[in-house]
Amino acid sequence: SCQVCPKCCARDPTVGKSALAQMFRNDGAHFQKNYTLVSVQQAQTEFFIFDSAGKDLFSEMLEKLWEQPNVLCLVYDVTNEQSFNNCAKWLEKLRAQAVGVHIPGVLVGNKTDLIGRRVVEQKQAQEWAEKHGLEYCEMSVKEMKNFEAPFHILAKSFHQLYKEKVETFHSLA
Amino acid sequence: MRAIDWCRSSAGAALVLATSSDEQHPAENVADGSSETFWTTTGMFPQEFIIGFPKCVKISKVAIQCYLVRTLRIERSVSKDPVGFQQCIEKGKILNLNQQGFCGNNVLSFSATYLRFIIKSGFDHFVSVHRVMAEGTAENT
Ligand SMILES: Nc1nc2c(ncn2[C@@H]2O[C@H](COP(=O)(O)OP(=O)(O)O)[C@@H](O)[C@H]2O)c(=O)[nH]1
Ligand SMILES: [Mg+2]
Repeated sequence: SCQVCPKCCARDPTVGKSALAQMFRNDGAHFQKNYTLVSVQQAQTEFFIFDSAGKDLFSEMLEKLWEQPNVLCLVYDVTNEQSFNNCAKWLEKLRAQAVGVHIPGVLVGNKTDLIGRRVVEQKQAQEWAEKHGLEYCEMSVKEMKNFEAPFHILAKSFHQLYKEKVETFHSLA
Repeated sequence: MRAIDWCRSSAGAALVLATSSDEQHPAENVADGSSETFWTTTGMFPQEFIIGFPKCVKISKVAIQCYLVRTLRIERSVSKDPVGFQQCIEKGKILNLNQQGFCGNNVLSFSATYLRFIIKSGFDHFVSVHRVMAEGTAENT
C-alpha cells in the first residue's frame, strides 16, 4: 500500500481541476473526502489530494502545503492557451521546492468535449510534457471521460519509484 | 545488572503500531536484531512505529539504523497501554545515516514501557529503518 500526496494544480481558475478532484474522490458519494484509493498491480495507492487554486501561485500558504509533495497533477484547459502556458510556472515552482527529489508528474488537458473551441493541440502539449519529464493524458470531466487516467498514471509511477527505492535499501543493507 | 537491548523481539519487544505496512518489509524487521531486514515507509510523512517492552525498563542508550531519514523524534510512555507519550529525544538533522549513531553517544536515563519513533521528514519519498536499539536494565519494582 502506497500513500501518495499529489498536488492538483493549475493557474487558471477554470480549467476544471476541482471538478476532477471532486469527481475522483467522491465515487458518486455525497460527502466530500480528501483522499481516494487506486489499485496498481495489487498495490493500493492512497491519494491525499491538495487542490491548489490559480491565485495561490504566489501565496505563502502554498509552500507549506507543498512541503514534500509525492506526485504532481498539472491540469490545463485545452480551450485556454494561457492555462497551458502557465503550467511551466507551476512546474518550475514545484521543482524549485523539491530539489534533489524526483516528483513523478502528469500533465492533463481537460475539456476535450469542447471540440470547436480547442486551441492547444494534443501534439504540442504532449511534446512539452515529454520535454519536462511528465506523462500526458487528456480528459473531459464534464463527460466523465478518462478522468481516472491521471490518478492511474501517478499511482503507477509512484509505485515504480517505491520498488526502485526498496532495491536501493536492499543493496545498502 | 547487565544492560541489554530491549528493542529485540527475542527480549520480548513487540511492535504495537506502524503507519506503513508493506508486508514484504514489516515494522517487525526493526526488532529482529538484523540490519539486513528493514521496515519501509510507503508515503507521506510523518511516519511512526511504536515498540512495547515486556515491562518498564530503564533506558541508558538509544540508537537507530536507517536510510534517508531527515528529522526524527522519539517519545516514551511508562503507561501499561501505549498512551500518554512524552518526548524524550529530538534531533533536528540526522547526519550520519550509515552509522548506528543516533544518540548513541549520549548517556540517557529514562524509564519506558513503550518507545515511539516518529519520522517527521525524509530526504526522499521513502525511508528505511533497519534496526533500533534501546539499551538498559529492568527496573526494580
Ligand atoms: N465543458 C467542460 N466544462 C468543464 C469541464 N470540467 C470542468 N468544467 C467547468 O469549468 C468550470 C471550472 O471548473 P472548476 O473545477 O471549478 O475549475 P478549477 O478552478 O480549475 O478548479 C466549471 O464551470 C466546470 O463546470 C469539462 O471537462 N468540460
Ligand atoms: Mg492509511
